Amino acid sequence: MQYLAGVPEHRTSTGLNNRKLLMWAFLGSDVMFFGSLITTHLIYRGQSLTGPAEEILNIPVTSISTFVLLMSSLAMVLALAAIQRGNIRGMRLWLSATAVLGMIFIGFQMFEFYEFAHLGLTPRTNLFGSTFLVMTGFHGAHVTFGVFWLWSLVFLSFKGKVRQDTSLDVEIAGLYWHFVDIVWIVIFGVVYLIGAYGVEASDAAHAVAGMLS
Amino acid sequence: MATIHDHAAEHGRHPGVRQYITIAVILGIITLIEVGIFFLEITSWLMAMILLTLSLSKFALVVGYFMHLKFDDKRFMALFVIPMIAMVSIAVVLLAVFGNLTR
Repeated sequence: MQYLAGVPEHRTSTGLNNRKLLMWAFLGSDVMFFGSLITTHLIYRGQSLTGPAEEILNIPVTSISTFVLLMSSLAMVLALAAIQRGNIRGMRLWLSATAVLGMIFIGFQMFEFYEFAHLGLTPRTNLFGSTFLVMTGFHGAHVTFGVFWLWSLVFLSFKGKVRQDTSLDVEIAGLYWHFVDIVWIVIFGVVYLIGAYGVEASDAAHAVAGMLS
Repeated sequence: MATIHDHAAEHGRHPGVRQYITIAVILGIITLIEVGIFFLEITSWLMAMILLTLSLSKFALVVGYFMHLKFDDKRFMALFVIPMIAMVSIAVVLLAVFGNLTR
């Protein structure tokens, strides 16, 4: 249990904490995972023959949910800053705020999915429906897992298992949470804004290629 | 065998609460600008460039400051940035081939 709590300053061949190294390696692999989902969606965008597609995206509502997720990232770093100063109550407050904001974001996503279903868009409707809902659904699943993780940290803090000397536990959870945030930053920019505007995938690719060159 | 980095020393290099709030305000403003640009009547090519640049700025701010990658060991950055470069390169090639980039 001591190891799980991140208590020992164990020696490693790299000089880096193994758990933090593992989290970064996982995030690197998740970049590839979400990258493939986003790319697949971009390739198939504009190729749906039946049913609703990009035109049903609700930008004002999604802008609010994006802002909510950005603010949850702020709450997460404030929780980390609190525990690093030994402020347990502050950490509980900010972790709870992060989890609640995450739940609000999931609420927005459920509302969006419900509206889409109401308008006739399901994963089976067309290429837009299957690629968009799989991509945003996996993101929502990541957020949901993160919310459980955050509440478990709050719960463990009441048992005295999250302390200033184990702040790495909060930092690792924070890395995961911020990653979920940056994935949404990309989805919101590339899929929602550029996609809803009607920019072709080729235009987006031209823009990326131009930025890389 | 090297020893684990002194976390207390690392935390000393992390941004403070005021800096975190400043970053969050900047992220909020960039999001507002993104949504504002969305409603402007501009060409799709310019639109894609601006929105991608703004998204990239937000991405860099969160990764650099909230995830502390700017202040942490560079090997953490390598673990994250190398797959990202690989993925963006693959995406551009796939879009070029299947997204009719040359159309």
